[in-house]
Amino acid sequence: MTPSHLPDFNATRRTVLISLSAGVVALAMPQGTLAQTAGGGVLKFGLSTFPPTLKPFDNTGGAANTVKLMLYRGLMGYDATGKLVNEIAESVAWSNPTTAVFKLRPNAVFHDGSPVTAADVVFSLNEITKQGSSAYLKSDLKIISAVEAVDDKTVQITLKAPSAIFLDLLASYCCPVISAKSTDSDVIGAGPFTLKGSEKGVFIELARFKDYYLSDQPHVDGIRFIAYADENLRYAALAAGDVDLIEYLPWTQFDAVEASKTLKMKTTLGPFMFLLFNVTDGPFANAKVRQAVGYAIERQDVVDAAFAGRGVPLYGLPNPKGSPFDLSDPAHEWKYDVDKAKALLAEAGYPNGFECRLLATATYGMHQDTASVVQAYLAAIGINATLDLPDWGTRVTAGKEGKYNIAVHGTSGNYNDPDALWSLLYSGNPSYLQSFGFKSARIDGLLEQGRNEVDPEKRKTIYQQLVVAYYEEVPQVPLNWRIQAYAMKQSVEGFEQLPGFLSGSSAYALDETKLG
Amino acid sequence: MLAFISRRLATAVVMLLVIGTIIFSLLIIVPGDPAELLLSTGGGSATPEAIANLRSTMGLDKPVLVQYATFLYDTARLDFGTSIVDSGSISSAIALRLPRTLEIIVVGAILALAVAIPTGTAAGLRAGGRFDIAASAVNALLTSVPGFVVGTLFIYFFAQVLGWLPAGGYVAFAANPAQHLQMLILPSVTVGLHLATIVFRMTRASVLEMRGHDWVRTAVAKGLRRKRVVRRHILHNALGPIITVVGLQLGILLGSTVLVEFVYNWPGLSGLLVSAVEQRDYPTVRAVILTVAAIFIAINTVIDILSSLLDPRIRLQ
Repeated sequence: MTPSHLPDFNATRRTVLISLSAGVVALAMPQGTLAQTAGGGVLKFGLSTFPPTLKPFDNTGGAANTVKLMLYRGLMGYDATGKLVNEIAESVAWSNPTTAVFKLRPNAVFHDGSPVTAADVVFSLNEITKQGSSAYLKSDLKIISAVEAVDDKTVQITLKAPSAIFLDLLASYCCPVISAKSTDSDVIGAGPFTLKGSEKGVFIELARFKDYYLSDQPHVDGIRFIAYADENLRYAALAAGDVDLIEYLPWTQFDAVEASKTLKMKTTLGPFMFLLFNVTDGPFANAKVRQAVGYAIERQDVVDAAFAGRGVPLYGLPNPKGSPFDLSDPAHEWKYDVDKAKALLAEAGYPNGFECRLLATATYGMHQDTASVVQAYLAAIGINATLDLPDWGTRVTAGKEGKYNIAVHGTSGNYNDPDALWSLLYSGNPSYLQSFGFKSARIDGLLEQGRNEVDPEKRKTIYQQLVVAYYEEVPQVPLNWRIQAYAMKQSVEGFEQLPGFLSGSSAYALDETKLG
Repeated sequence: MLAFISRRLATAVVMLLVIGTIIFSLLIIVPGDPAELLLSTGGGSATPEAIANLRSTMGLDKPVLVQYATFLYDTARLDFGTSIVDSGSISSAIALRLPRTLEIIVVGAILALAVAIPTGTAAGLRAGGRFDIAASAVNALLTSVPGFVVGTLFIYFFAQVLGWLPAGGYVAFAANPAQHLQMLILPSVTVGLHLATIVFRMTRASVLEMRGHDWVRTAVAKGLRRKRVVRRHILHNALGPIITVVGLQLGILLGSTVLVEFVYNWPGLSGLLVSAVEQRDYPTVRAVILTVAAIFIAINTVIDILSSLLDPRIRLQ
């Protein structure tokens, strides 16, 4: 007998059986644990990332802003259609173009039970503008010259100049009213939900605040935010019924949701993709070369390759959906035209093209895919771009320090007005959101005029001039609007995606969301 | 023996110091500013003033040498400090997450050993037979499929199509034991599959080598029963290399379950490390890497000591 005839299969069989039965037992465990959502009244919301912080005045990303809007509210807000509405303010009256008087809701209370007073509003605005703050709206709110508590429930705000968008700033997720008793580690807000529990990186659990100033809202008893960093898993979690609602539905899953009987989605044209240039030296210092890039790219291909067709080409100034002005001006747009692009390059002195570095990031697939399409189209007019795809953190620093020739970026404004492009176009400190070294007194002047003018007709004329200046000076080359989607179970009712640049403020609609 | 152990331990401490210094230096070289990143997460940009204020809060405005000295001093006292992003205690974050990573690794390893040692033995004893050919083919297939592909397929079938298991996520065992176990199945099977392929190959090769030795023939010739020959004379001797490989793999898995944790949204140590790197949360990155390194070195040291007990020749090398 040779050793090869020795195997003892009993042990194997036993082991296999034991493992199999363990698996069966686990699978047979009550499925009720998986289907807890129905009837519980707690909305399970799949976030794209875990909020790095919930500091009320800092902007630390879309996920953080969503949670913040549930915990804190400001004087103003938006309804589900994107219209400005009063939140903690019961009424607003402009006694002159630079003085606004806000009456606070008599029944507005903080989560600790104390009433929201004018002193708290003064405290909150001062927290934003004070020396040493890292608040997102610090420079925007420098327009305030004085905030006074007239009485317990009345606040008067005086501005240094008239502002068409001041109330939009007050409706921002970075401008909440918090209690003057708040500390860095214990922020007391007056939002529709209170913080019940959380674990870093995993979940945040909120409970309905029963003394919220709108007595009929919110409709759900609580919200459990669960972070799913992988977009496909986020969708899988929705499809499997683990969560009720997800943000940032991946573009590749739009078809699946449309075909599904159990899921639905709400979409808007929100953020947009664009190219930035280092204009301090080299060919891109010449506006003609930047215009040539504008004409060289077939934008539908970017939409198809990077966004599964879920986007719309953008040929000129990115005026958001929901903007009060129609600024379309086909004479000042870059439609795909290779001959024109080549002619402009020749005119600028580069008939044979040149070499350059194209910066994007490997962290976000859409940035990387956009860069690949752009690279191919640039090659067609003789511009040979080498892709540089570091991680996001490195990309932000490289953008700010001008370590690139062309860069791909995508972002959104904060409200539906051309003024929302301020942080992208107004020259100031170096920022990864702007072309490195680009400065235009003409564009800066138009932005200032538009912000300080309150007459809509005059503002429209100013922004029409901005469209022309944008086309001629090329601070950026726009590529496309992205369709942004929230996906949810059919049974989720009342949730709407806010239009255009307000997409990131859609959490306001959670107040009216119901679980069917 | 004592000299051997103390020599090993001294080496371990020096290695940790070197690793700590390397991580510290690398993080300084890597571009990206944590303060700026945090304030531009929303796609916005922050003013230089706001960034400077946050940098000073994070303690990043101090000279590098001061930061290094503080790091060494604190680490020596086992004080990892707080995250510069959210000011949470790093030690408690690691204490919370390390057991979860260990959980999927240990459960995965148990599953892997339970399947791979018997099948590997069977395949090795009848090398070239039908079972060996079939098992080796399956093994080759599984070896070449990366964990995240297996994970994605598992989620598709078991969560989306069949609806048997959650797509991913985590619930504490204390909060809901049944749901915890359901969520544990897919990640640990995924980790286990990879380990099983390695253990299968090692077992098969080792058994194949052992069964040709003289003492096995002697044992058979003595008239010992098959079971006894396989267990005592073949498997026992074949286990040495298997233990070494499994031990090393467990250490490697600690740092490389990242894809599995990501795919299944399992909030373990790797996930903490990845998000810390993305946010340039330097103290957290250093603490997690040092912890993983310490465990890896500890496992190696234990294996060395164990091997030297099994085989005294190793002590003399």
